Amino acid sequence: MTSDAELIGRSLAGDGQAFMEVICRHEVAVGAYLARRAGRAAAEDLLGDVWVAAFESRRTYDQSFAEARPWLYGVALNRLRHYWRSRPAEDLVPDVTSLANGWDPWPTVDARVDTQAVLRVAMAKLRSEEREVLTLVACEDLTVADAARVLGKPAGTARRLLHQARMALRNAPEVAALLTDLNNVKETQ
Amino acid sequence: MTVDEMDLVSQLKEAAPLRPAAYERARATLRAAMAESGPARGPEMVPVPGATPVREEGFSRARKRRGTVGTLGKVGIGAGIGAVAAAVAVVLVATSTPRSAAPAGSSTGASTGSAAQPPTATSPLMTLAAHIQASDTSPLPGNASLVIEDKKDSAGKTVEVVYALYTDSGILYTGDGKQTLMSSITQPMNPANNETYRWAVSARNAASGDLATARLRMINTFPNCFGLGLSPTAQKKLRANCWAAGAAQRREKMGDKAPTKQPTAKQVQSEIDNTLWVACDNALSWAGGDPRIREGVLRLLSTLPEVTVANSTTDGEPTLTITGGPGLFDDGSYHEVDTVDAKTGMPVSSMESGGGMAPSTQFFQFSRVTLADVKAGKF
Repeated sequence: MTSDAELIGRSLAGDGQAFMEVICRHEVAVGAYLARRAGRAAAEDLLGDVWVAAFESRRTYDQSFAEARPWLYGVALNRLRHYWRSRPAEDLVPDVTSLANGWDPWPTVDARVDTQAVLRVAMAKLRSEEREVLTLVACEDLTVADAARVLGKPAGTARRLLHQARMALRNAPEVAALLTDLNNVKETQ
Repeated sequence: MTVDEMDLVSQLKEAAPLRPAAYERARATLRAAMAESGPARGPEMVPVPGATPVREEGFSRARKRRGTVGTLGKVGIGAGIGAVAAAVAVVLVATSTPRSAAPAGSSTGASTGSAAQPPTATSPLMTLAAHIQASDTSPLPGNASLVIEDKKDSAGKTVEVVYALYTDSGILYTGDGKQTLMSSITQPMNPANNETYRWAVSARNAASGDLATARLRMINTFPNCFGLGLSPTAQKKLRANCWAAGAAQRREKMGDKAPTKQPTAKQVQSEIDNTLWVACDNALSWAGGDPRIREGVLRLLSTLPEVTVANSTTDGEPTLTITGGPGLFDDGSYHEVDTVDAKTGMPVSSMESGGGMAPSTQFFQFSRVTLADVKAGKF
């Protein structure tokens, strides 16, 4: 299969459809990333802006990287930051009640809401760059090196940030209690 | 296995998925931005030798493109353009086939072969376009145009049937039968990979405004090596770059017969006109249910000196016969004839013959429908 890098190269040579193929490969992942960060409604509005921003900045793409997904996440993150800066502060408070509404069909939704609410509160206390690396690795399934690409930081810095984020979460009382409960439940099963 | 903080965080992975229409809307936003940015210029236009065009998803049917081996000017467009799709990258080929002059009695004015020809004031194509515009006052029923294309051989036997649904929002779905058309609505092809979709957009935009500009935009719907719109110096450089980049492919395809000189200005003009003809032909055939697209196509065709128009009658109804003469194609024996309703411009049929191929005719049935009805099989 032709790599993303090669398609972007063709795009720069005038093949517009090559770039469209790149975004089609990653639109579900990037859309999900936006939805996790800003909610579905905002994600649906932002996705097109992300593609335009990526298209306009494709000359900056380092073609030594075959896969463009981390780069697209980086573009999406920049767009998210712009979005957050334009929003009233109260809009940015995570609405955990929405987790129990709508599409999640599983009967354990209440338990999941509790866990996620605890986690979100703990994560809100992290430094933003620690939180970014953590979510990119844990939620977007990126390697630490790819997370570094997204954030435009050296890989070593990203590893350090991830370590700091994990330690902070592990030591947060509410998360520690949650982990203890979960592991105790596993032991008794 | 012990649960750790990473396992907890990964639970936040869940999110309400985006709706399919959101992805399409985002792609449309990108397409609009790409169209605004125009074709790449200068050195960026040097094609990647051996680059393979992106294949069109789903069913695709190419309208015939008769031109030089390795159509001049197409840089990595989507496939589905018949035999020419197999040509990779961009090649400028000088042909040895002399181009015939515009047929006598052409109603489109004298041919100079060097630039877009302004349509004559009495061009029947412009007259029909104006009539369509004047008649286009009432909202159309439904929200999409359905066309069933029945291709028959010279004996009248059906050799191919194509269904195409063009929505008023500009989305094109195709299938080789009712079921595949219905399936395509749930799994649409990516319009960005569909030439007809992009040509239809350009044709629609040509329904009004400056015709020379509209012609330029239609030809430049896809990146090419014509360099239209560039300064003479930049255009010359672009064409030279493309010529140089295509040398290996010409040798591969033509061996000792590969030309050593760049095409003449007249040959390049012929390629440009061929590109415009093919684009208009496709847009009219697939998306001709939209009156604005018909208007735009007719206006654009009126700029082609190789196109002749004659009054005709089809099944007792007045029609116009629009002939793309040999001057549009590299093979002097080949020509295409489109027949449209003389009052509405709606496509009736399209015939191609010559060029060593068996003659065939596509017959069109257009109707207004709703996307929901088609999706439910109610058509």
